[in-house]
Amino acid sequence: MSDDAADDGNESEGRSPAEWVTFSVSLVILAVVVALIAGQMWGEQRPAAPAAAVAGEVREVDGNYYVPVEVTNAGDDTAENVQVVATLTIGDETLEGDQMVDFLSGGEVEDVEFVFDEDPAGGELAVSVSGYGLP
Amino acid sequence: MAAPDTTVAQRPPWAQEVVDVVRALSGGMLFGIPLLYTMETWRAGSTAAPSRLLLVLGITIVPVLILNKTEGFRADPHVTWGEAVKDTVEAVALGIVSVAAVLFLLQEIDLDTPLRDGLGKVVYESTPFSIGIALANHFLRRGRDEGDSDGDEDEDGDTQERGLDATLADVGATVIGAFFVAFNIAPTDEVQMIAAGLPPGLLLCFVAASLAISYCIVFEAGFSNEEQRHAQKGVLQRPLTETVASYLLALAAAALMLFFFQRIGEGEPWSAALSYVVVLGLPAAIGGAAGRLVV
Repeated sequence: MSDDAADDGNESEGRSPAEWVTFSVSLVILAVVVALIAGQMWGEQRPAAPAAAVAGEVREVDGNYYVPVEVTNAGDDTAENVQVVATLTIGDETLEGDQMVDFLSGGEVEDVEFVFDEDPAGGELAVSVSGYGLP
Repeated sequence: MAAPDTTVAQRPPWAQEVVDVVRALSGGMLFGIPLLYTMETWRAGSTAAPSRLLLVLGITIVPVLILNKTEGFRADPHVTWGEAVKDTVEAVALGIVSVAAVLFLLQEIDLDTPLRDGLGKVVYESTPFSIGIALANHFLRRGRDEGDSDGDEDEDGDTQERGLDATLADVGATVIGAFFVAFNIAPTDEVQMIAAGLPPGLLLCFVAASLAISYCIVFEAGFSNEEQRHAQKGVLQRPLTETVASYLLALAAAALMLFFFQRIGEGEPWSAALSYVVVLGLPAAIGGAAGRLVV
């Protein structure tokens, strides 16, 4: 211990100004990261709340209609295996498609696309999340 | 204890600091790159509670502090506990910054990533990276003394033949090193997943990052054989040509690994195959650089 103390007394001579700059910048970075994490601890923790909505224009390629859908987790907790269902009703006919998003962390947004062989503009399109798991 | 680095001791303090930081980052890359390509680590970070993230950060500090006390990443390692603590703060901060940069390159975090998600990924991935930084002086030190004396003995040999032998040795070492690091990444889904999400501009950034990291590990980080490598006269052994040639070898090795695991082949669009090869080329280039240091 006494050796260490003696060595510590020479630290300011041993460390160059360049090393002090690196240390100071590093200390600030570490402090910011710890503060950001600590700030997350005091915020309200909302449970996972994934939801789906059509996002953007439907496009047609070779007779198929591609519907862009955005899946958003409005909560803070992560949702796994988020099941997204799209239902297109045209007259008496109902077309259904489903997608699964493996992993959706709190606040994350994932884009998926549904493909129909009928034009969604000619009917009623509904997209929703049918279920999800908790990690 | 690390052998004093007489080749770099005469550098001005700022230049020496740059070399120390480059060595630190190189050590982090060598140790941490496989986990940066692991989906489960990204997800572990994303799902972790903030209290767990602080715990992980605290746990990381312990081995990094012990390693910094014994060797660390500096050419002139500080041996007092006080200096080891300062080096530990630097190692963890460097780990966090460089992991954030690589995760951004992999598009696992971007400006739209929720703060908690991004913090979790960065903190979890920075653990092996920070340990790699603190291990930098342990890596590939063997050749520093042995390599220098080998170089002196070679003065009597035939220059041309020696250059060819050295080039062939480098080719073999690059390919073996590339396989050593990238072989366990090649069969995973992460390569395709990362490649699929990359805009073409970022693919070029992968190429630039692979070349820069490979160059830094071999020629700037002050690892073993650096002086000898600067002095080598092989066919492709000027620093820039060697770096480019070795990167092409690493890409070829990456393509072979992907073909072996049937990740590329007949029916695969060439642009998709190219992006897989470039994505796997980053760890392959790092492995190739490490391989060349041990020959």
